[in-house]
Amino acid sequence: MTGMRKRVTVGFLSIVCLLFFSGMVSFLELSHLSRDTGEILKANRRNIELAKEMLDAAHEQNIALIHRSVFGDRSYDSLCRACMERLENTLLVAQNEALEKSFLDSLAFATTELRLLTDNYLAFGSGDILSPAVGQPVDSLGRVWYGGQYEKVYSQLTSAIKSYMTSTQSSLAPRAEQMKKNAYRAVTPVLISLAVMIAIVLMLYYFMSIYCVKPIERMNRELGNFLTYRTPFVVKGDLKDEVLELKEKIELLVKQSRQTKA
Amino acid sequence: MRVDVVLRYVGVVMLFFAFFMLLSAGISYVSGMDSAFYPLLLSALLTALLGAFPLIFVGKCDQITNKEGFCIVVGAWLVACVVSMFPYLIWGGEFSLVNAWFESVSGLTTTGATILNDVEALPRGLLFWRMASTWIGGMGVVMFALVVLPSIGRSRMMLSNVELSTMAKDNYRYRSQIVVRILLVVYIGLTAVSTVLLKLAGMNWFDALCHAMSACATSGFSTKNVSVAYFNSPAIDTILIFTMITAGIHFGLIYATVTGKRNNIFRSEVTRWYLGMLLAGGVLIAISLYAADIYPTLATSFRHAMFQFATLVSTTGFATADSNTWTSFAIILLIFGSLVCACAGSTAGGIKVNRLVLAAKMLRARLQQQQHPNAVIRIRLDGMIQESEVLYSVMVFIVTYLMLVLAGTIFGTMLGIDLTTSFTGSVASIGNVGPGFGEVGSMDNFSALPAAFKVSNTLLMLLGRLEIFGLIQIFFMKWWK
Repeated sequence: MTGMRKRVTVGFLSIVCLLFFSGMVSFLELSHLSRDTGEILKANRRNIELAKEMLDAAHEQNIALIHRSVFGDRSYDSLCRACMERLENTLLVAQNEALEKSFLDSLAFATTELRLLTDNYLAFGSGDILSPAVGQPVDSLGRVWYGGQYEKVYSQLTSAIKSYMTSTQSSLAPRAEQMKKNAYRAVTPVLISLAVMIAIVLMLYYFMSIYCVKPIERMNRELGNFLTYRTPFVVKGDLKDEVLELKEKIELLVKQSRQTKA
Repeated sequence: MRVDVVLRYVGVVMLFFAFFMLLSAGISYVSGMDSAFYPLLLSALLTALLGAFPLIFVGKCDQITNKEGFCIVVGAWLVACVVSMFPYLIWGGEFSLVNAWFESVSGLTTTGATILNDVEALPRGLLFWRMASTWIGGMGVVMFALVVLPSIGRSRMMLSNVELSTMAKDNYRYRSQIVVRILLVVYIGLTAVSTVLLKLAGMNWFDALCHAMSACATSGFSTKNVSVAYFNSPAIDTILIFTMITAGIHFGLIYATVTGKRNNIFRSEVTRWYLGMLLAGGVLIAISLYAADIYPTLATSFRHAMFQFATLVSTTGFATADSNTWTSFAIILLIFGSLVCACAGSTAGGIKVNRLVLAAKMLRARLQQQQHPNAVIRIRLDGMIQESEVLYSVMVFIVTYLMLVLAGTIFGTMLGIDLTTSFTGSVASIGNVGPGFGEVGSMDNFSALPAAFKVSNTLLMLLGRLEIFGLIQIFFMKWWK
């Protein structure tokens, strides 16, 4: 490659490199952004699924316990235990999958409390737990137990599940802040590269102008003057590469032309 | 003027910056490829391209005119401030456009003021870049590149003559080329010694290197939110006091002292004034603090007083205590220290002891002249008779300096900032000191201040670093024959 061509090629390659690398960094940061968004959405969806499963299990157990305590139907004992198992298994899954485990502490505590209360009730019945008042039927004790003890723990559990369900929303603020940062990082390199590119293009314009365009203009003018007025061909300035060769060749031609005329 | 030649040399300086960005990216990679790796790598690439581009077109040039030299030095400083904010901007965090510009200018001019509320949140690579930029700025962006990079040839002398002020060139008995080398040897030597001593005093290698770089550049950037107070170690405080005071002495004199030359720091009148002022100020502040029951013992009072006074006089700006809570007497002495600053020929900014000593001598001469109107009174400094042109330029400098402080203060109050913050912020910026008082105290930062005040302070920093006239000159280039 000749001098001038080499310089111009290197100049343009620099701009291409700049575009490529800034593009790559932006792409990288945008991938992070996309991944973060995906993760937030996935975590949100999964959270709702698990919370729904726990609420279903708690609700079914509640129905079964109403049948057991209010109507004295013992056939619901197994369903009560199964629902409790389901609730605990889902909690275990949630604990394994959770990124922020602190949200699950109150839920785990409420579940353990419910487990102890129902196990106790299913094993010993309400008779051992509550002492019947004089003249009060034993069956009504179940209703008192349900209203006085179970309902309170049940409502604690459901509110713990609901707060777990909204926990993803609570942890969304720092994640959104992180996403904002990532978005900023994706855009800034491009903006800076753009500014640098403008500077480089302006420099390229300037160098092309002083090393290529202006000398050619001067040579053209001088050559015109020579052809019209026979003035000497003198081109001043710092000439380089092919432009310098061109000037030397024109000077030679001018010299030869004068010799021929002479 | 040949713009292409100016672009070429500014490009050379940019390549030097790109190298340091790459080094910081290396630190980032070693530290587990932290979040600063890509921003530093990309910034290095952009800066390298920007620097290498003029080199593709413009060939080597041995002869540079005075005008071109000025343009190269001022241009390099301004472009360096722009490129050095690339890593901050790309990294994000607390760095908005204005904040990144402030941090970049503050680093390069070795002011050491910051807009960061949480310095410790920065990844290691970026922390190192902050220190590297301030370390380069301490020596002078062009000067550093001139020494390290080959193929500059005879133009090195021209550029060093432009970047080094006349006062800074005093005390040298060598050619410019050797002067530049001496500067670098002293600078690197002091940084190395300080790093090892800080490590021995209990810092880890990274903190030791960063604090040594910052102290030698008289910058004041720290890797900790509460600056040097974080370490709470008398040994570390003592080492940093030694480093800061040494960095405030003329480098030529340090070199002469170390190599056993006759013209050393003990024979320098300016250095004697400088050290005397430090000692007197430190003792007076310590007594004031002890008397006001701010510290329980005189020793503790002296430790903090000496550190704070040395850090402001040397224009470093570290902190071991919140000097906002000190007595009014201590505060006014600290403000005086921030105005006077250290010696010419060091990395410090400010009016400088040399000019103050000359101003005091001129005042005495003026009084003598009034008493003896026919007397011929000569003003001497270090035994040398000072030309009237030098004395005139000293007075012009001091007056312009104080007028700029006033302008900065007026602008600050116009923006609704209180007088203390506005005045001490301007003093700290133009003197490249860093911390002031009020909202910009030793334990505070510039983050809460309006963007316009931050920008005006960066202008003061640049004016202070380029000894005022260097930057102003560039606006009158058209009329410069």
